[in-house]
Amino acid sequence: MANTAIGGRPARGALPVRRLLAPSSRGAALALFVARRVLWMVPVLFFVILITFTLMHLAPGSPWDKAGGRQLSASIVENLNTRYGLDKPIWQQFLLYLWNVTHFDFGLSYQYQGRTVSALLVSAWPYTATLGVLAFCVIVPAGIGLGVVAALRQNSRIDYIAMGFSTFGASVPNFVVGMLFIIVFGVMLYNITGGNYSLPVSGFGLDDHLIMPVVTLALLPTAFIARLTRASTLDILRQDYVRTAWAKGLSERLVVLKHILKNSLIPIVTALGPTFAFLVTGSVIVETVFVIPGIGRSFVEAVTSRDYPMILATTVLFSVVVAIANLVVDVLYVFIDPRVRLT
Amino acid sequence: MRTIALGAFAVLATFACGGNTTGGSSAQAAPADQQVLRINDGTDPNSLDPTQQTYTYEAAVGRLTFQPLLQPNAGLTDVQPAAAQSYDVSSDGLTYTFHLRSDAKWADGKPVVAADWVYGWKHFLNPALAAGYVDPFFDQTIAGGSGYSDVDVKSASAIDSYLNGLGLSAPDDHTFVVKLAAPAGYFKWVASLWVAIPLRKDIVEQAAGGAFPSTDTTKAEAWANDPKTIVGNGMFKISDYTAKDHLTLVPSSSYWGGAPKLQKIIYYFISDGNTAFAKYRTGDLDMLNVPIANVDVVRQDPQLSKQAKLYPKLSTFWMTYNAKETPLDNADVRLALSKSIDRDKLTKDVLKGTDTPIQSFIPKGMNGYDSSLGDPQKFDPAAAKQLLQKAGVTAADLSKFKLLTRDTTGNKTVNQFISQQWQDNLGANIAVDVVDSKTVTSRIRKGQFDIYGPDGWGADYPDQQDWFDIFTSAACHSLNWGCVNMPGYDALVQKADSTKSDSDRNPLYKQAQKQLIDTANVGFIYQQAEYNLIRPYVQNLTITGIDDQYIPGDLYYHDVFISKH
Repeated sequence: MANTAIGGRPARGALPVRRLLAPSSRGAALALFVARRVLWMVPVLFFVILITFTLMHLAPGSPWDKAGGRQLSASIVENLNTRYGLDKPIWQQFLLYLWNVTHFDFGLSYQYQGRTVSALLVSAWPYTATLGVLAFCVIVPAGIGLGVVAALRQNSRIDYIAMGFSTFGASVPNFVVGMLFIIVFGVMLYNITGGNYSLPVSGFGLDDHLIMPVVTLALLPTAFIARLTRASTLDILRQDYVRTAWAKGLSERLVVLKHILKNSLIPIVTALGPTFAFLVTGSVIVETVFVIPGIGRSFVEAVTSRDYPMILATTVLFSVVVAIANLVVDVLYVFIDPRVRLT
Repeated sequence: MRTIALGAFAVLATFACGGNTTGGSSAQAAPADQQVLRINDGTDPNSLDPTQQTYTYEAAVGRLTFQPLLQPNAGLTDVQPAAAQSYDVSSDGLTYTFHLRSDAKWADGKPVVAADWVYGWKHFLNPALAAGYVDPFFDQTIAGGSGYSDVDVKSASAIDSYLNGLGLSAPDDHTFVVKLAAPAGYFKWVASLWVAIPLRKDIVEQAAGGAFPSTDTTKAEAWANDPKTIVGNGMFKISDYTAKDHLTLVPSSSYWGGAPKLQKIIYYFISDGNTAFAKYRTGDLDMLNVPIANVDVVRQDPQLSKQAKLYPKLSTFWMTYNAKETPLDNADVRLALSKSIDRDKLTKDVLKGTDTPIQSFIPKGMNGYDSSLGDPQKFDPAAAKQLLQKAGVTAADLSKFKLLTRDTTGNKTVNQFISQQWQDNLGANIAVDVVDSKTVTSRIRKGQFDIYGPDGWGADYPDQQDWFDIFTSAACHSLNWGCVNMPGYDALVQKADSTKSDSDRNPLYKQAQKQLIDTANVGFIYQQAEYNLIRPYVQNLTITGIDDQYIPGDLYYHDVFISKH
């Protein structure tokens, strides 16, 4: 989603204090850290719900307004409000919602009458998550690989190609790339092969349906990670210990993997956390262009039709996923950089 | 008792009244496994319960899984039998007796009885469910229905006593009787709407986990959440449904009229017009509503252009002037604005020649259409300027106004053109104010606008009664957004609506239409047409002017087949 921008967290690597901790106390500290962070999610979620709830009700228009045709009469709107609990004062609706959320009851959708929001999200999320996880599996090797190669061969042709690609990936919007793919690998390929083959242009399936959406979804983050990896690797390359490693005559493989890559990972891991959260909560544009029945599309449809319970539930879901992703990143630091201590 | 003869002359009507049928029965049918029709329906229905569906794209599913008593004939001149074999109207016009088919069966093979119709209509009319199509079609016509809006929906006994007081009864298994509150010659059309269907009490209650009070809307709709419990009396049944992706229909083997020829109908829910267009071009769709941006692409493509089909719809579009603001309260000013829009240029250049110019209210193809009535609003910049002068209004006086516009590409381009026309022809600088759709609706409901459009009306059914009430003073701020004061109009429309014979009410409607146009209540601009791509192997498709843009011909899918290709 747009509000979960990639990057943003400062690296925690700048903690030079080195303490020798016995494994058990280190494990305990980690558990304490995780527990504390999970508890912190409660007030965070409260404010997310409060803000979303307020903004949502401030937005003009009611869920029962129609874009065209006969409008519902005032008394029917009243009946609908009664049916969906909108007849109560706003603060009561808010408290009731909070109470229900603690019971994992996210209410009924207005747009899809009679269906619970939870059921709609549960049926939509697998599509989104599949695309997101697959895209992530493309982004990590492709982004890091491109970045490292570019840095190791700085100012070479490979570097220029890699960086040219990432500039393109970072600057061309998703919907342009998506539409371009559809025209080239859908329509044009269909015409060239005389109607025998083309990539499917819409829908979800565990086959060649996945190619275009996953590549489109992966393009921007891959470009971003490649640039980040290149910068970070170049930084490490200039470190004394790397020069020492080369001087000792260590093999290139060992120097790159053990001394360079591992040390350049901190900023990359920082960026990958929110990227993962962003991917598995769905891209509005990719899901709309390729007609994936995922939660990115649900969110947009919910906003345009003022489907309040759906808007709230998707926002809560995004917040939880982002919070968890950030938590995982923080825990990963411990394993990547032994200097990092969790407080 | 007057019996209205209903026969199987639908085909005749098709030819006589300009119905729109593709191909012919001479073509050879493809093998059964190729009898598949793949269509983009744009967006999912909000519910699989037809009584809750309020748009025709939603009714795509409802119309095929269930069947109402009657259905419009192909020429839209009258109704023809559907689930009812025939019907009688009492001489006072108050009692409609529908004779149900004795061979009608539900998709699970059980016979359809009159009690199912009473149950279905009561489900639809339950005020707690607040179905969008009840008011005004049903609550204003059925005896005992008028209290619909005032029922206390938190009280089961209040709801039950309202429902039991409705003029619906089943004297025997094959007779369904509806008593009306007042004679309404158009009720036959109301009975042909997709919301007026029978329902199975046992299935609804089983899905709800037993009998439930009428206040419990969640239980009342539980059956509609599972495609398996959508057991209808229609010619198709749902075989699978993936929300936001697709829904598949297969023939119901127990349909009284014999199984349809199509073995499968797949509705895709693709909201992005460009993606849908690509899907058609890669051979994965058989019908497609062409987005306006792609009309030229189709016309220039030697193959696609041959598959294009343009059909007019019974819908008219117009610009609404807020008569609560000076000088828009002056009919001459409204006329001047209406006379300074070059509709030919608009439809040709902006709407790519798909829609047609119109200066009157009732669209072409419907009883009541009369282009000569539109002359007062005809494009004539010189006369428009004179009218402004006569009203003592300058172009500068109009420049304070804004043109409220919904944020869709189509609306924006139309309104930019119209704004430019007012600039060129009147010298008035009326800026386009683009706002998101929900905000627009909320503003026009409160009268917070100067000029708004394009707004329009599409026929729910092809009877003039469906049209004129939207401009009565009672509809001020509900459909009559401009709230123009037209003395005598309300009485005229009311008289026409409650007049029994067509020959008596048509002149009344004509008078009302003349008044609408002469006072420029709104400025009529174009009649909508749909530009669709249809594969040449889709045979026997009968398209009418009330079909949805995405699903032309769906009233007559029973006879559609795929020819060898």
